[in-house]
Amino acid sequence: MSHAELGVWPRMLRAELRLVFGRRRNLALLAGLAAVPVILGLVVFATQDSALAGQGPGFLARITGNGLFLVVTALFLCLPFLLPLTTGIASGDAIAGEASGGTLRYLLTLPVPRTRLLAVKAVATLAFVASAVLGIALVASVTGAALFGVGDLALLSGTTIPASAGMARVAGVVAYVALSLTGLVAVGLFFSTLTEVPVGAMAATVVVAVVSAVLDSLPQLASIHPALLTHHWFDFAEFLRVEVDWGVLGQGLAVQAAWVAVFGALAWSRFVTADVTS
Amino acid sequence: MSTSDAPVRSSSLRSRAPWAVPVGVAVAVAAAFGAPPLLAAAGDADLPDVTAEELLARVAAAEPVPVTGTVVYTARLGLPELPVSEATGADPLVLLGGSSTLRVWSDGGERSRVSLLGTASEYSVVHDGPEAWTYSSVDDEVVHYTLDAEGRARYDAAAEKARDGVRPEVAEGLPTPEELARTALTRAEEHSTVSVDAPTTVAGRPAYQAVVTPRTSGTLVDRVVVAVDHETSAPLRVQVWSTQDPDVPALEIGFTDVSFSAPDAGVLEFSAPAGAEQREVVVPTPPDAADAERLAQERLSDLDLTEVPDPTELLPPGVTVTGEGWDAVTEVAGVDVAALLAGDAASADELGERVIGSERAQELIGEFRGDGGGELDLDVSVLYEQLTTEVPEGRLLSSTLLSVLVTPDGRVLVGAVPAATLLGLA
Repeated sequence: MSHAELGVWPRMLRAELRLVFGRRRNLALLAGLAAVPVILGLVVFATQDSALAGQGPGFLARITGNGLFLVVTALFLCLPFLLPLTTGIASGDAIAGEASGGTLRYLLTLPVPRTRLLAVKAVATLAFVASAVLGIALVASVTGAALFGVGDLALLSGTTIPASAGMARVAGVVAYVALSLTGLVAVGLFFSTLTEVPVGAMAATVVVAVVSAVLDSLPQLASIHPALLTHHWFDFAEFLRVEVDWGVLGQGLAVQAAWVAVFGALAWSRFVTADVTS
Repeated sequence: MSTSDAPVRSSSLRSRAPWAVPVGVAVAVAAAFGAPPLLAAAGDADLPDVTAEELLARVAAAEPVPVTGTVVYTARLGLPELPVSEATGADPLVLLGGSSTLRVWSDGGERSRVSLLGTASEYSVVHDGPEAWTYSSVDDEVVHYTLDAEGRARYDAAAEKARDGVRPEVAEGLPTPEELARTALTRAEEHSTVSVDAPTTVAGRPAYQAVVTPRTSGTLVDRVVVAVDHETSAPLRVQVWSTQDPDVPALEIGFTDVSFSAPDAGVLEFSAPAGAEQREVVVPTPPDAADAERLAQERLSDLDLTEVPDPTELLPPGVTVTGEGWDAVTEVAGVDVAALLAGDAASADELGERVIGSERAQELIGEFRGDGGGELDLDVSVLYEQLTTEVPEGRLLSSTLLSVLVTPDGRVLVGAVPAATLLGLA
């Protein structure tokens, strides 16, 4: 590989990132997601002395005791729908968006292999999804710290750990949630190579996540549950138990890796064989 | 993509070649995920033969070992679908049906922690000598159990080995393979025949299997199969088979992952988290029951398994037992069902503390007891309505392992027997 060729990678990626993060729709999406922890924090703050205090799903009741739980709660609430939606929009648009805009044809006339183009698209999409998760986490930790303060963290097991260890645990939650979305990115990227209608690819990606969650709730299908895309998403709670079982987390990430491998390969073979006419 | 507009056949073939990649990847992924369980299942344990007597003696003589592991518990009791779902989080009620995952830590002595894992929730039971705690992350509630003065005195007086029976019983405890196996095996020779099944592999460890078959045919329990680790003789799995279902065990609890190393000291400690609701429960020492337990413990430590004290001599007033062993039916008179349903903790605990005919019955009764403290997550009367059916004699609960009949005059009949037996007695 020559020097000139080596230089192409970062340049392409920079251009792609500028495109993804420059799109007004995507910025609005990030802003909307970042608003979730702010609204959540304000609601909990306003109702903490009323009869409504302590009600709600998951970790909601714990926020008043420790602002760090706002990060976990915000991710917990965004994970079933808002984050898959964000992932669907970003990944579904990656190829189909260029195709519908008529720019894919010109992109392919560049002396760049299609494989590399797809890889750049994938990395940029992953970066966007990761920044969505990180954005929620950062806004949540600032809001949580400002409204409720940060102190020792009471785990789900009833054990209390120091605030510094608690922060490390919450950072683990954030990382696991971000990595949990990689499988869906690959699925979305594949759909995006199938169509020239970005909305179709986006919707199909979200549908995959929703259908996966529905299948996961049917006890009759227990035997296929471990392989489902969304089955291990909420295993991030492992970080909040007295002894983190890395096997459980590894299993969840291995399933994501499997989905990435299969759908990444599907997206690649479709993209390198497709006749691009627009 | 279609072949019709492809100018040359060879180019269309070439353009299809990349599709072999995802196929190959899919096969590789399937192999990577599918192969390990197949391999594990293929190799059955190859262990030297033992007789049933030898196996029982080994289990009884085994030094308690520290255990850390993951346990999967599955109940197929044939009960109606309960309004408990994953959304409810970790609640001991989920043990009534379906599969649950538990994590077990024990130092092999008086300190242990058992956690029921739920989606983003956990229910923990921590034992530390004369004290015990339960913590529910859903309610953020701690219940602290301590022995009363007499129990404490007995605890202090008892030798370390005999202390097990003196530790505080938690109202909503969690099952472990160890505990279930002990109840099944210690009384095994009384009313059952014990045989040895082919060795198996549980949690990757070779294990002997003891099969405890009731001598009577009047019980719902067909057999209890206990898998015992070949090295430490610690129970790894217990399966209870019902006569109602020959295909799958009605109750199964076993390690999926186990190590016999001492758990981290921090795991076995408990101090209530700040802000959690805390309740204190002093566990009373019922003189008879405690004596029976201690007697049983002492005999156990003497390795004399055949002489377990006759439970009928130690029964509290109002309780009669018809039959003995597996098909025993316990009748408790003067139970205020309405008060129980209203969440009256005192009467609920009283019912639970009583010695019920078989250990299975005792166990299930423990699970049917309310929350112990009046504050219930589920409407108990709704639960009662759902679980029981109306019969001329009262209300009947029938599951694959246990039948319960509640008569309008306040008698409760419980036994690991078919419902017809209870109806006949009532």
